[in-house]
Amino acid sequence: MNLPAGIRNFSYATDMAIFRTKTHWALLLALLVILLTAPLYWGNYWLGVANLIGITVIAAIGLNILTGYCGQLSIGHAGFIAVGAYTAAVLTNRLELPFLVGLISAGVAAGLIGLIFGIPSVRVKGFYLAITTIAAQFIIIWVINHWSSVTGGFTGISVPLASIGGFVFKSEASQFYLIITITIICIFFTKNLVRTRVGRAFIAIRDNDLAAEVMGITLFRYKLLAFFIGCFFAGIAGSLLAHWIGFMNAEQFSLAESILYIGMIIIGGLGTTIGPILGVVFIRLLQQVLTVQVVPFLESTVALPAGFASGVTPMLFGLVIVLFLVLEPRGLAHRWALFKSAYRLWPFSY
Amino acid sequence: MDELLQFVITGITVGMVYALIALGFVLVWKSSGVANLALGQLVLISAWFTYGMLVQAGLPLWLGFPLVVLFALALGWIIERFILRPLIAQPILSLITVTLGLGYFIEGVVTFIWPWSVDALPRLFPREPLHIGTAVVSQEYLWAAAISLVLFGLLSLYFKYNKMGIAMRATADDQMAVQACGIPVTKIFSRSWMFACVLAAVGGILMSSIGGITFGLVETGLKAFSVVILGGLNSFLGAIVAGPIIGLAENLGGGYLTPLTWPGVREVIPFIIIIIVMFLKPYGLFGEVRIERI
Amino acid sequence: MKRKRLLIVAGVLCLALVVATLPFASACGPEAGEKTLKIGITTPSTGKAAEKGSPMGHANLDAIEYINTELGGVAGYPIEVVWLDNAYDAAKVVTNVKRFMDEGCIMFNTASSAMMTACMEIANRAEFPGLASFGSPILYRPPQHIYGQMPDYGDDWIAFAKYYMENIWKGSGKPRMAMHLLNNSTGYGARDAAKAAADKLGIEIISTDEHTTTTTSEMESLTRIKALNPDVLYISSTPAPTAVIMKNAYDLGLYPGITVGLGHASITKALVDIAGADIVEGVYGVFPTVNWGDNVPGMAKMTEYCQKLHPKDYGNMDYITSWAQSLIVAEILRVALENVGYDVLAKGDVESWRVVETQGIQKLKDFDVGGLHGPVSYTPGDNRLSKSVRLFQIKKGVITPITDWIEAPVVKYEEFDWFGK
Repeated sequence: MNLPAGIRNFSYATDMAIFRTKTHWALLLALLVILLTAPLYWGNYWLGVANLIGITVIAAIGLNILTGYCGQLSIGHAGFIAVGAYTAAVLTNRLELPFLVGLISAGVAAGLIGLIFGIPSVRVKGFYLAITTIAAQFIIIWVINHWSSVTGGFTGISVPLASIGGFVFKSEASQFYLIITITIICIFFTKNLVRTRVGRAFIAIRDNDLAAEVMGITLFRYKLLAFFIGCFFAGIAGSLLAHWIGFMNAEQFSLAESILYIGMIIIGGLGTTIGPILGVVFIRLLQQVLTVQVVPFLESTVALPAGFASGVTPMLFGLVIVLFLVLEPRGLAHRWALFKSAYRLWPFSY
Repeated sequence: MDELLQFVITGITVGMVYALIALGFVLVWKSSGVANLALGQLVLISAWFTYGMLVQAGLPLWLGFPLVVLFALALGWIIERFILRPLIAQPILSLITVTLGLGYFIEGVVTFIWPWSVDALPRLFPREPLHIGTAVVSQEYLWAAAISLVLFGLLSLYFKYNKMGIAMRATADDQMAVQACGIPVTKIFSRSWMFACVLAAVGGILMSSIGGITFGLVETGLKAFSVVILGGLNSFLGAIVAGPIIGLAENLGGGYLTPLTWPGVREVIPFIIIIIVMFLKPYGLFGEVRIERI
Repeated sequence: MKRKRLLIVAGVLCLALVVATLPFASACGPEAGEKTLKIGITTPSTGKAAEKGSPMGHANLDAIEYINTELGGVAGYPIEVVWLDNAYDAAKVVTNVKRFMDEGCIMFNTASSAMMTACMEIANRAEFPGLASFGSPILYRPPQHIYGQMPDYGDDWIAFAKYYMENIWKGSGKPRMAMHLLNNSTGYGARDAAKAAADKLGIEIISTDEHTTTTTSEMESLTRIKALNPDVLYISSTPAPTAVIMKNAYDLGLYPGITVGLGHASITKALVDIAGADIVEGVYGVFPTVNWGDNVPGMAKMTEYCQKLHPKDYGNMDYITSWAQSLIVAEILRVALENVGYDVLAKGDVESWRVVETQGIQKLKDFDVGGLHGPVSYTPGDNRLSKSVRLFQIKKGVITPITDWIEAPVVKYEEFDWFGK
């Protein structure tokens, strides 16, 4: 990490810290203040969008650990989120367990299912693993749809509001605080994870798993751990999603969603902590802007060909994914890092 | 007993249709090592283009079909030139994801040009089904099966004996060595994508005459993945053999398990097969086991 | 390289500006200060269900345009519409409904039942009344603040079953019915109705099969059904899979032979086109609205506006549904306005929502939507506003009506313990 001139580290703790300079701390505090006071000046709608972004960030961080840091391509993430969502739904609705129990169980359940479907990763990788995860997604959705006695089958299942102690998270603002807190915890967890032994093992596996095995990293253990952690996050995100929407239906978790998640982390930048956040914000805001501002605006002012509105969203997203991969394969995080270093090195940046 | 025969016949013919799509996938993999996850969408857009030619422009068959083939060739060339060539040396994640993004884009284009998302081709085959013993099979399926076999034969011969075909196999094995030999790798990629698109177009026409033009063509593309995994990613023979196996598993499994378990078991069988194959024999029945070196 | 950096900084600043001002932007509408009645409409105009959602969105807006320009709005107050596309995505429909509540809408409409199920929890908790054009029992059993414009897929089945027992079934004992369902609420709505009412009607359900929207072959399931010797087959699905089933049934020699009945999602012109008129000859179906060109009072204005504003949607049955939906909304607002006056109604908070429900929706009585579908009334304990359907039969490729309006009785699904919560 590049430090400005004049800063010296006198202890191991300060050397390894994430936030080094006073500017860092100041910026962090400013960001937190802005975020936590957001409910004061954002209406329900934008808080809702922010909540959705928060939930998506948690899931994307999980996918980033699995695919970005450990290199195990997984195109079935929506399925694992569904596992978490339905676990939380069933536990809080049918068994009437408290929200926190549902949250943790959702994470554990999704993690375990991810573990099971991740076992082939020990034998195959690349495209084969991708197909396995697609198959996993379809099987999970099929089971959810057909196990109607538990999951409500095709009709769906309603989910009560989240509550901790006696406090019920009914308003958008209260859900915002809940989701932001959990998101921040997850981000911190991830940032620290990659600095530990486990994280370095993941990165070694991603770069060349045979070499990693030769070096003494047990592939079996670490790959499955990556699946568990990645899907644990997906489960947590699923639980929060279930309580936020209030009614779960398997139609909400399609292959297109999984593809979108992959797109989010690639656009954001694989293998970085800030990457998923940037990618998620970019894609979700693009979705909202397209469907909420642009399409009705265009439809009411310009006489468009009939298929414009329906076709423009997938076209645009597909195009964005392809363009990012072709032109900027390291994603927005790379651009952000370039921007930071340009700022730091000015006027000598190039 | 009647049902058994019907299930078997249906399974084999449906499986041959899957095999046809799988051939396109194997073709691209065999010659460039790229996994074409946009296969379903390529089938879709070819089917819609055929519809556009035959129904919207009202062209006769002998003019419409060659135009569709030309369209498929052009599409393959464009995809290779503008999307895959910039990514030639990139890791596999980028290649797979770019085909995913491409698939998404093609879906959008299809919805843009033909927003009513469901339609039918004019009837291309006679309606009367064929009777084999007590079982029936509609002529569309038989034609699809026959065309799959013919294409399989042609492709195998091409890859085995034709100079370009051998060059394609060499490229899939080791790109740098092929370049060192002076074979233009980019031309090979172009050609394989063009062929694969033509295969997808043929598959699209056959499948839409069976079930109409819907987004279901994309899902059948997904089922073709299970054929490819079972048969082996770089084996044409594997695709032709695994197709009917998957079709049989679907129909027999569906036919006999559904009354015992849940309705709809049939949809999940191909995916369970994928998982089982992954656990037992990841490279498929006829696939090549890759030996990796550090 | 300084230019490149300048470009990047400029780009980032632009992005930041856009993001920062997004909360303050709003969709375009009539000028502020004018007294209007605000409603929210969300349709899946893009995405998976766009072939239904897009014409439905057009129809909603065209009808509002008609009401505002030719009828002078609702008792002189123009209807202001906040129209948002939900792209058939549950998370998006949730944010849309929250936005409706934020912007002071006094009620909202949706097109698809799946989208309404996604947002009904939020709407019900906030007591924000909603009207769904296509419904499913889970939306309004037990009845809360969501209302169904038309009978749902379960009602279709009951109507067909009754007609079948009274007019088609000539044997003795119980007829054997096989059901083929689409694997979502369209199909399972019919199954729930069959589970609840088959015994009472005297029908034996011999098998329940499901299929996906994208199936290419149902030979396997039809072979099994054929082996069970059914008398009648009921398909609750959309046109494409229904066409596949019909073609396979024809191949197997099952049809013509047995009677086939369809739910309202599949008996449309698309089915005749895809399957071929000769294959679907004689198939029965249930539909809750009239067909284009029928001689009813409301047809002329609807045809005029459709041809003028969205000519490509002419012939689409869903257009009729959503046009009627907007007319119903106008009537709800008119009745509520009569009962409480503008100021209470237009406040756009919980008070006005309650008023819209109790003094508007629940006071609807025999409102005739120009004959486009059955009359609209509210009966306590039943949140379906129109309960009538008509039976049709496909004759020579034309979908011809064979009955007048039949009323579908209310079924208290929540009393069965197999009904989901």
